[in-house]
Amino acid sequence: MSGQIGIILGVMILAYAAAKAAKLSVEISMFLSAVAGGIGGALVRTPSFGQLFRHLVEGSFTYLDVILVFSTATIFMAIISESGGVNYVVRATVRYFYNKRVIALLLLMIIILIPGALTGAGSISLLVVGAPVAMALGLLGIPKRRVAAILFIVAGLSAAAPPVNIWAMILTAGTAIPYVGFELPLGIPVLLLGTFTVLVLGLRKQAATTFEKALKGMPEVPAKMSWWRVLIPFLVFFGSVLAYRIWPFRFPVLGLPLEFTLSAVAAWLVSPKKINILTLSRDTVKRLLPLLATIVVVGMLQQVMTATGVRGLLSFAVISTPLVLLILSLAVVIPVSEGVLTYGAAAVVGIPLIWYLDSIGFHATVAIAGLTLLWPLGDGLPPTALIGRLSVMVSEYKESYWKFLRSTWLPWLLITIVGILMIVFSARLEFLVRWSM
Amino acid sequence: MMRRTWVIKAILVVSFLALTILGGLGLYEQRRFDIPIVAGPGVTKVVKLSDYSQGLKGTIADTLVFILEGKEAGGKALIMANTHANEPEGMLAALIMIENAVVDRGTLIIIPQFNHSASRNTKPGDGYPLYFEIETEWGKKTFRMGNRDASPLDQWPDPDVYIHYPEKQLLSFIDARNTNRTWPGRPNGLLMERVTFAAMEIMRREKVDIAVDIHGAETMFPVTNCIVAPEKSLRIATMAALTVKAKEGFDSHVEPSPVGFRGLSHREIGDHAETLPFLLEAPIPFLDQPTGPKTEKFLLDGKDPFLLSLARKKKLFVPYDESGWPVEKRVGQHCSLTMEILRQHAKRVPDRAVEVRGVPRYADIVKNGVGSYFHDPAKAERSKIYLN
Repeated sequence: MSGQIGIILGVMILAYAAAKAAKLSVEISMFLSAVAGGIGGALVRTPSFGQLFRHLVEGSFTYLDVILVFSTATIFMAIISESGGVNYVVRATVRYFYNKRVIALLLLMIIILIPGALTGAGSISLLVVGAPVAMALGLLGIPKRRVAAILFIVAGLSAAAPPVNIWAMILTAGTAIPYVGFELPLGIPVLLLGTFTVLVLGLRKQAATTFEKALKGMPEVPAKMSWWRVLIPFLVFFGSVLAYRIWPFRFPVLGLPLEFTLSAVAAWLVSPKKINILTLSRDTVKRLLPLLATIVVVGMLQQVMTATGVRGLLSFAVISTPLVLLILSLAVVIPVSEGVLTYGAAAVVGIPLIWYLDSIGFHATVAIAGLTLLWPLGDGLPPTALIGRLSVMVSEYKESYWKFLRSTWLPWLLITIVGILMIVFSARLEFLVRWSM
Repeated sequence: MMRRTWVIKAILVVSFLALTILGGLGLYEQRRFDIPIVAGPGVTKVVKLSDYSQGLKGTIADTLVFILEGKEAGGKALIMANTHANEPEGMLAALIMIENAVVDRGTLIIIPQFNHSASRNTKPGDGYPLYFEIETEWGKKTFRMGNRDASPLDQWPDPDVYIHYPEKQLLSFIDARNTNRTWPGRPNGLLMERVTFAAMEIMRREKVDIAVDIHGAETMFPVTNCIVAPEKSLRIATMAALTVKAKEGFDSHVEPSPVGFRGLSHREIGDHAETLPFLLEAPIPFLDQPTGPKTEKFLLDGKDPFLLSLARKKKLFVPYDESGWPVEKRVGQHCSLTMEILRQHAKRVPDRAVEVRGVPRYADIVKNGVGSYFHDPAKAERSKIYLN
């Protein structure tokens, strides 16, 4: 059977390579790869031809909730930006902290960490606060490539940060381990690694801008803009997120898409400048379309890979690897699996891996925490590269994507080492779980 | 050039519509497909779960509850299956009981599709078949293959994190639609909390002695091939496991229900009612991650070369060989263990006994097949047929 599945995997890779060679976009290439894999599978009735369409349609819905969150969060942030709120925040950041660089960097890091920590999605951090933070970092004299690198790493860490870590939640749900005790095993490394990242990539001022020049270089802000006008939409968002946490059995479940929509409406209402919300929404969705298409196609690809056995073969290859090699290979396997399957990787690779590690004496909660530090790195890798692409987008970095990715090497390496060491020494770090509870 | 662009766009739109209709039709039909259940000689009453909780009335989460009353007074037992509708061996065992069991003493209450919404859902990204068929003497009986969680069409939106009632433990957002995380439920909570609340109401109002929640679990999952029981059910669970091992020749060990993990039936039922809860797990290789294609055949026979290879490397938690882990073994284990739990309870509390006959045991089902215990709806009285 593995030979047959291997051939289907080969067909999928070939289809993707051929589509890329024909200069088709990432999303269309992935779609053609899914179709080719499905047809390859159908030749041996895994699945049957009759079911192929159903698998493609069903798979396209795998990440519908993520698509809704992306769309509404981006429209929300676009309104904030259009109203002048982003420029107002940037101006204030530079004015108060221009000469206190370390404090400025740490504050900006915390600002990026909060939305992702609350929602479990680094993309939300970038969509909500990415643009103003990118501008502030730029005005602190950090070149765009390093700005994108900081955003990518810290947004990734925000997704891993407690209280909401979606990889850990998928893993705990799939392995029947309670989602408790993650605060310290995740919180401590996230804060340390985040601090390391902003200082390593941001401490050195590249452009010799003076405080006066930076102030001058900042965009104009509408006269009526004030802190309240900036803060009210964010208060609506964080208020609705926190209200459910504080009164979970009295406050209705709104869901992130509605929470962002309500915040967007608030931003529109308090904007000092008139905004055509329909035109703005249409333009925003147009800008997001390649990203949304990627998420739709990743779902299709995942479904076809499962129905044909390709997903199982990859999972089998990971689990069959000898322990030492397996642990070392996590540095590559985990980020690559995220690049291909996004959150699906936690189920495909993570669940059997945690069962296996748990059964041989590793501490499951700490091992999951270690693994979930590695997954966000894969969000910079193709074919999906969700966070990487968003980081590049919000920081307005226009040069080579690979150059941007290369500039993350030092924090990437440290995160990998910390994540793997947490897995290896999970039993000894068990006290972190105890102290969290 | 302009005309060419329009032609290409038109072709793409038509292809998109064709793909959506061709692919979506199967999903639409699966959601509307009903399974005919033939009420057997022991069924004395069929009610709805919403009879115990008004919040379910008129929703797709409402489901049939089959009641089998004995002539003699005794105890009461509740059997729930399809809590996770992608673990169909529980539902098959429950249907065998509904179609064949006769209660001599006490009452048996059976909910064959506990998470009814999940049974009409599919699992995007996981490539399951939409249906599976069981061979019977009168032809093939078709069943829907469901999902672990309720459909987002029925309960949406998901919270960003699910907060368990009443303990406030944080659980995965997906678990808001998982009826084995929403116990003990709330009358006006999320739809799945209303489902578990209704079941709690059955247990409280009917003074149910025993509750058995039937599941399937991956071969790579440590909590598989077992009875999960809290402290107060441990003795009966242990005796049942030892007895089936000695008398019927199959293994099923006992796992204690963890105190700190909330929302599960084996934890919350015992903590919020007088009932003794048990959760049965039989190994279902189909749910494992490192397997070949997810076909209907694999769902039923449980044979997979990757799992076989992993078993040789001692990476599975159950014995596994070329014979796989077929549906007959899984359903047989569930029937035998359920009956044995009732028997052990009757020995301990004779005045609350639930005595049942007519349910085949492990060896019978392995020998005769699951399908030989299903009755032909075409030949049954119309009043005995229930669509669920």
